[in-house]
Amino acid sequence: MKSVKKFFALCLSLLMVFTLTACSQESGGGSSDDPSQKTVKIGVLVSDTTSAEALAFKAYYEKYIQSVYNVEFMYSDELKDASAEQSAIDNFIANNCQAIISFASADRPAQIEKCESEGIYYAVATGTLTDEQYEKYKGYAHYVGAIGPDLAAEYQAGYDMAKHFLDQGYTKFGMFTGASVYYTEMHIYRAAGMLAAMCEAGKGTYEGAEGMAIVGKIMGEGGNVNPGKIGSVEVNGVVAGYDFDDAWYGKLTAVANDPNVEVLLAVGSGQVAFAGFKPEGKMLGDIDCYTADSVGLMEKGTLNYLAGKFSASIGPVFAATLSAVYGKPVRDNDGNALALSQGYWVADNAEDAKKYYEVDSSTTEPAYTKEMLDTLIGASYDDFAKFVAAYSFEEIQK
Amino acid sequence: MKNGKKLAGTLAIPVIVFAACLLISSAQGIVLFDSLLSWTTFVRAAANTVLVTFALSINLNSGRFDFSIGSIALLSSVISSMITLKTGAGPLAMLVLSVFFGCLLGLLSGLLYVTVKLPPIIVSLAVALFYEGFAFTLTGGHGVTLAGNAEILGFGTIPNYLLVILTALVFMVIVYDHTRFGYEYKALLSGQKVSVSTGINEVKNAVLCYVIAGGLMGAQGFISATNNGSITMALNFGSISVMFLAFLPMFVGGFIGRFTNDKLGYLLGALSMAVISLIYVRLNVSSSYQQIISAVLMVSFLIYLNNEGRLKQIFRH
Repeated sequence: MKSVKKFFALCLSLLMVFTLTACSQESGGGSSDDPSQKTVKIGVLVSDTTSAEALAFKAYYEKYIQSVYNVEFMYSDELKDASAEQSAIDNFIANNCQAIISFASADRPAQIEKCESEGIYYAVATGTLTDEQYEKYKGYAHYVGAIGPDLAAEYQAGYDMAKHFLDQGYTKFGMFTGASVYYTEMHIYRAAGMLAAMCEAGKGTYEGAEGMAIVGKIMGEGGNVNPGKIGSVEVNGVVAGYDFDDAWYGKLTAVANDPNVEVLLAVGSGQVAFAGFKPEGKMLGDIDCYTADSVGLMEKGTLNYLAGKFSASIGPVFAATLSAVYGKPVRDNDGNALALSQGYWVADNAEDAKKYYEVDSSTTEPAYTKEMLDTLIGASYDDFAKFVAAYSFEEIQK
Repeated sequence: MKNGKKLAGTLAIPVIVFAACLLISSAQGIVLFDSLLSWTTFVRAAANTVLVTFALSINLNSGRFDFSIGSIALLSSVISSMITLKTGAGPLAMLVLSVFFGCLLGLLSGLLYVTVKLPPIIVSLAVALFYEGFAFTLTGGHGVTLAGNAEILGFGTIPNYLLVILTALVFMVIVYDHTRFGYEYKALLSGQKVSVSTGINEVKNAVLCYVIAGGLMGAQGFISATNNGSITMALNFGSISVMFLAFLPMFVGGFIGRFTNDKLGYLLGALSMAVISLIYVRLNVSSSYQQIISAVLMVSFLIYLNNEGRLKQIFRH
């Protein structure tokens, strides 16, 4: 009886060993030589989960990229501060993520340092580092790089939008400067670009400054833009912040209905800030993204100009990250990480907006498809840069 | 003399606030009520504030802290606007639907509270998360855009806002001061144990309070949506912030309630807040200063309420 028990125990032990071996082979997945056979887990840090732009980016990763690549995205909650970002990175590490793509910018240096010390690849999406930050981190082994509109591109987006209306003869503006009062550089640069265009057209200065110097002027005023005359151009109302209270909506309504305002310019969220209050006949320009609602507003004539990020614009940063995980990091000749700028798709009519949105919202044939992104895995820095630089709708469609 | 004291106590705070705002604005060379738009801003803010204040006070006075009222406003306005946009119905239908779904969501919240018997603060946080998530899922996270829909946005006129304020006030006064439910509500406030032993059904009373608060928030959600032209999504308790709109008017209303009907007190508190909102607009006060001013006003008022007896003694001597 005793020996039967021993034999039974031995059989069970063997069964367990075989089962565990089989399981471990299964989780390893096929040939160990081909990295694409293994599922790569990528953590995504986000500071915004509800904006149209954030939703479009998420849809591109989860509905398209995840369906065509052997990757799994793990999203953080809405991160409000640096400590939340650190906790989210810890959570990604605990969940065996091999790389992190960051849309959160409360404390980018801390994110980079943490990922470097933990040996996890880290990339910045839809943004860039400052020159000082890039100089410091460009040689970090796990820093993949940053791809997105740099601050010069943000400035240009604001400049182009204001110029579009100035060229049509409009001279009286109202502005929504969004998070400029929270020192969000992206919004400050866009607002500065708008004011710079007004300085050129109005042959004046914004409180003594013009061009890029306006950025410093806005920073010095606590992120506020002050109404006033810029030569022959007038800024007759400015609203900032995202308070969503009665006073905030009251200020927006007042600017939108001011008889001395012909054009409303928004550094972002213009469809929330102004579209609901804008009387017919006034113009509205916004820097945001392409959604069904924005196309609808353009068709109704409520929105007249839209510089939008396209959701697939985060495709190249994904490809760079995946390439790094596969052991083929994209580096320049000096071994430095990527630092590439992208621009916006601009529509000043409903037809263009509709055309952009159709491509942008597609989950089967988005702007950057797998075939296009595959060319970036293991690509040289120059080829990568060339690919990213050709961001316009027409160039991508070619 | 007694009536004069009552009138003075009732009007003191609103009059002081109005006078201070008029003084500050004229010192800046700005006319506070310079156009129809200023009046609209003022009346709309009053309507928003009074609805939230009524809704918050119903449960808070009974010791039930309800964090879910903002999420009820969000979800009820999302559902009503989606139905309205789909069917092409007008703003009145949207208002009725919004109030209906607000009542329904309030009912669910109340039933959950009386069923699970957990502290209301915990239940309401769970309900807030659920309703926020539900609204997010319904709209795919994109919210609802009403911009460009002139008929629905056309609701935002002074007579309509005044009608909403008046209806809410009359409804609250009738329900809470002239019905059996209202008497029972007051009895429960003054002593739950004794009231229950006299046969008052505290569970039914609590659920009805949630239903009424939900309906008021449905109306508030509708006003917000038709004014803003869009309903933006909130997650992770983002909808709670609407409650903070009501704290100061509630405290002010409670104070005024010593001299007159407490609902009228809430309305006067809301009017005082609305004129403060208007001066923020007219003077283009930045949001950081707004927060500081609002916090200072509230803390000062609470300090006064807590030290009222001492202050009276000092002035007597």
